[in-house]
Amino acid sequence: MTENGNLLEVAGVSMHFGGLTAVDEVSYKIGAGEVRGIIGPNGAGKTTLFNVITGEFKPSSGKIYLKGEDITGLAPHRICQKGMSRTFQLTYVFPEMTVYQCVWVGVYSKARRAGTLFFARADRLKEVADKTMELCRLVGLEDKRDELASNLSYGDQKVLEIAMALSTDPVLLLLDEPTQGVGPKEADSIVQLIELLSRRMSILLIEHNIDIILRVCHNLTVLSNGRVIADGSCEEIGRNEEVQRIYLGEITCS
Amino acid sequence: MERKGMVARFALTSLVVLAILGVVLPSGARSLVVQIMIFSIFAMGYDICLGYTNQCSLGHSMFFGAGAYGAILSVMSFKLGLIPALGVALLVGFLFSFLLGLICVRLSEAYFVIVTAIISAVFHLLAMDMTWLTGGDDGLSATIPPISRSISQLSLYNPYVNYYFVFFFLLVSYLVLKRMIGAPLGRIFISIRENPRRAHFLGYNVTRYKLVAFVLSGVFGALSGALYAMTLRYASADYFSFYWSVLPIVWCLIGGTGTLAGCWIGVALMSLFQYYVSAWFTHYLLLFGILILIILKVSRRGMLGYLVGRGTR
Repeated sequence: MTENGNLLEVAGVSMHFGGLTAVDEVSYKIGAGEVRGIIGPNGAGKTTLFNVITGEFKPSSGKIYLKGEDITGLAPHRICQKGMSRTFQLTYVFPEMTVYQCVWVGVYSKARRAGTLFFARADRLKEVADKTMELCRLVGLEDKRDELASNLSYGDQKVLEIAMALSTDPVLLLLDEPTQGVGPKEADSIVQLIELLSRRMSILLIEHNIDIILRVCHNLTVLSNGRVIADGSCEEIGRNEEVQRIYLGEITCS
Repeated sequence: MERKGMVARFALTSLVVLAILGVVLPSGARSLVVQIMIFSIFAMGYDICLGYTNQCSLGHSMFFGAGAYGAILSVMSFKLGLIPALGVALLVGFLFSFLLGLICVRLSEAYFVIVTAIISAVFHLLAMDMTWLTGGDDGLSATIPPISRSISQLSLYNPYVNYYFVFFFLLVSYLVLKRMIGAPLGRIFISIRENPRRAHFLGYNVTRYKLVAFVLSGVFGALSGALYAMTLRYASADYFSFYWSVLPIVWCLIGGTGTLAGCWIGVALMSLFQYYVSAWFTHYLLLFGILILIILKVSRRGMLGYLVGRGTR
């Protein structure tokens, strides 16, 4: 952690695709234990921002620091190894692997031991197995651990995604619309899971559902057209007139 | 879990049958089975590439040819023994696949296919041209030394020794590869096949693991090429040709990709077909093409994949 206690610092990051500016000079900070929501209308650059932070794209300009260390332009697997993990907007699992194996792969990624890679029997690595089971239990997929990931319901796949993101033992978790397309009851259990996780790690959350945002987030960053238009606690954002105009306009007008 | 058990049972049964066949078969059929076993090693290695990491290479003839020449040349020019010559072949296969892999594995699917095909085509031309080294199209014939210099009876010229020598390598190759597939490496391979981007975001250097798979398959391709050359006591530039790159794909598709032992069915079917049908029909490959289409129409996962899939549902 840096002296000022910021876990993640995004400093003036821009991302251009040809002539299109998807992310424009975005800056914000996340402290330890903070849950920050990123909201904004469709096409505001939220997912692009995630892709830049997690190493999928190298930003056109700007810097990203994790625990005070410059991670700008590192490959995704390096950034993951440094403690940042993410989920994807569309479900992104290993379809032909069982739930247990999906999580196992992530756990092994963190708990790699030299000499086990080529010839150790995968299922006999006790440490990895225990951690995997613990994660399956935590997210409530224990009973379905031997199901193929592709056979799970959409909601369960979303949960599995979170379990996979957790499997690498992150200090910062990036969730990209974890409840999108999920029924209200399943969404509620996902939110409960996020609340539980927020006590253990910092979370960056993209979400459209304002109720969920207000329930779990401490602070918000509002994006519009790739720019940060507001940054602050939920109450401050709620009072911000520009945010009301751009983001909540549809609701207040109708 | 049950699926795995079935594939393992199939493999075990096949190995036992192969062990018995060596004694009971007449000599013609025996040499056919030797060929099947040699190709099975090639096919299993290739399955690591195609079936486990989803890299459809069209360049594996390079490794087959490199292994064949590695063995034949070290026997001819360097007067090495049989086992050291095999070692040289594996080393050559390793170097070839490592260097080619460095160039290719980071390419996306279609480019990967094309670049591997082009590079192996270049090597085919080189092998045809460099007759001083390879003998070109005529190839090189060699006298193969006995397995152990002290026991001259233990020589590949004895058909039984040849059979069980090859069988031994099939067995070892299978056990080694099966162990790797059951190890963390195999799981990582499968996760990369299923979703490379996700595996990357779980902290795996996908390119490096693809390279490992590519090199593994190259080394087993070279082993297969070396055994083939030693059995025929002959290697020619033809081993580098496109034909030998397509064969492993066909074997794996027929038998079932990602099953390791499934490709044995593909090899056996193709070899038997070649041997028996070509005797009365010159264009047997045409019939074989139709057969492949039918098999893939019934099951995208090949024959073993079909049997196993039906067992669980």
